[in-house]
Amino acid sequence: MRVLDRSWQDRGVLLNSLPLLTLLTLFFIGPILLTLLLTFQEMRSYQLQWVWSLRVWSEVFSKYSYWVVIGRTVSMAFLSTFLCILIAYPAAYALATRLKNYASHIQILIIFSFLTDAVLKTFGWVLVLDRNGIGNWLLQHLGLGDEALNFLFTPRATLLGVVYNLSVYPLFTIYLSLKRIDRDLILAAYDAGASKWQTFREVTLPLSRPGLYAGAVLVFVLTLGTFLESKVLGGGKSPLAPELIRQTFETRVNWPLGAALTVVLVAIATIVLAVAVRLVQRTRQEQAAKGAEA
Amino acid sequence: MRNPLTNRLLDIGLSGWMIALLVFLYIPIVTLAFFSFADSRVLTFPVQGFTLNWYRELFERPDFLPALRTSALVAVATMLVSTVLGTCGAILWMRYRFRFKQALQALTFLPVLFPQLLLGVMLLLWFSVLGTVFDFRLGIPTLIIGHVIYVTPFVMIIVAVQLYGFDDTVEDAARDAGASDWRVLVEITLPMIWPGISAAMIMAFLLSWGNFYLSYSLNGSMRTLPIFIYSGITVGSSPIYPALATLNFIPAMGLVVLADFLRRRALRRDTGAAKEES
Repeated sequence: MRVLDRSWQDRGVLLNSLPLLTLLTLFFIGPILLTLLLTFQEMRSYQLQWVWSLRVWSEVFSKYSYWVVIGRTVSMAFLSTFLCILIAYPAAYALATRLKNYASHIQILIIFSFLTDAVLKTFGWVLVLDRNGIGNWLLQHLGLGDEALNFLFTPRATLLGVVYNLSVYPLFTIYLSLKRIDRDLILAAYDAGASKWQTFREVTLPLSRPGLYAGAVLVFVLTLGTFLESKVLGGGKSPLAPELIRQTFETRVNWPLGAALTVVLVAIATIVLAVAVRLVQRTRQEQAAKGAEA
Repeated sequence: MRNPLTNRLLDIGLSGWMIALLVFLYIPIVTLAFFSFADSRVLTFPVQGFTLNWYRELFERPDFLPALRTSALVAVATMLVSTVLGTCGAILWMRYRFRFKQALQALTFLPVLFPQLLLGVMLLLWFSVLGTVFDFRLGIPTLIIGHVIYVTPFVMIIVAVQLYGFDDTVEDAARDAGASDWRVLVEITLPMIWPGISAAMIMAFLLSWGNFYLSYSLNGSMRTLPIFIYSGITVGSSPIYPALATLNFIPAMGLVVLADFLRRRALRRDTGAAKEES
């Protein structure tokens, strides 16, 4: 398709952009701005008061327990990002280079499991991990352990659920960037006498970095917003930030405080996102520079 | 290259890793399907026998069919609205270059990168404040709006991929033959990018159908299926949820296969046309 240079006031541009822009202004930018404004208000006897004060923010920054929960959430996000990439990279590499004949079938299977209701899948893990569930039964009958493992309702079960629900994102982003690598570059490296490992480290890995970063950011940011896994698999014993936010709204009915905690989480996500965008841009520039040299 | 044995081991290792991941992805899904037929009220292993009772019990639950109806209504409405908006966005993105384009692109993609629960919470605050001013409550319309915000970027990606291979000289030919802009759109452009649009529609339907986080904040007194399941399993497990899961799998699998078939056929046709030209 040809790309047409147009003024932003062109009829075609306006016709295609205005509906989307209106929707996003009304129901995306609007709510974000309102949330920011709400953090400067107060709640008195379950009624929102437009008073413009900093009380909520001073509460957020003075209460140690909030930051424990936020810290736990961020470390959970780092851990799940690391594990998801560790799991997804070799799989994406295998899908792009080894299993070519079955790639489309495997893709359908992955997409189906991805689109299946997350609540149901998480509940499925409860049935597997239960003290009297299939997992423990298998472990005992394979002779791997005599004692039933108490895995369910621990932070590790939460981590398992998060990794399970999110590992598909980096799988796809890494797969797409691996598919875009020019096969000739790899063959050229072999011709120049590089070993498989050298070729992977010097050619394939750097060229797949955009997909790697994109997948990592997606997992990190989406982990910041999970409370299904910590509630259903973690048993709610060590709550993450979303659970705290949910409680602030539902149990304590404190909108300004909930809004402030939401802003803190979104700020963390934005910083990570900005760093990742910088990294991708720098990789692109480096690669362009290398290409110019060659 | 020099050592065939290590190469072979590498091949097996990598393929094995992918297959292990696939098994990992299907552990809870297979487990649910299995327990939906197990003849026991407590969901533990091993099981005594097999039964279809749980399916009957599911349909006898008074709140099941209303939740099913809400889910279907919201998913169909989300599918229609987000497909129109997403197709507009994809055309805008692939066809034009204009000032503010990058800013607009970033804005349209941001909802995917936003933690869904937080997006839901912000929309909840927005609707609550607006609701006190304009006097309305949370319900099906707010659910649809939330889902549309989240689903539209996915539609844009899928349709944009289809547009990439679209040969727009055909449009010029139709215009030269005297067709109006509207007729070009309806008779040339839409039929040619239809496979991408229909694949995107299926994806949009399924994303809305299975959405939990946004529905959780925006449902008001209405229940969608994921909310029905969530409120059930946090109270106590029952075999009706595996039964519901199994009923959910079959049409979803059919739709995923159909979407993939449409996409593939369209790609084949595009590359086929390109070959004929050259």
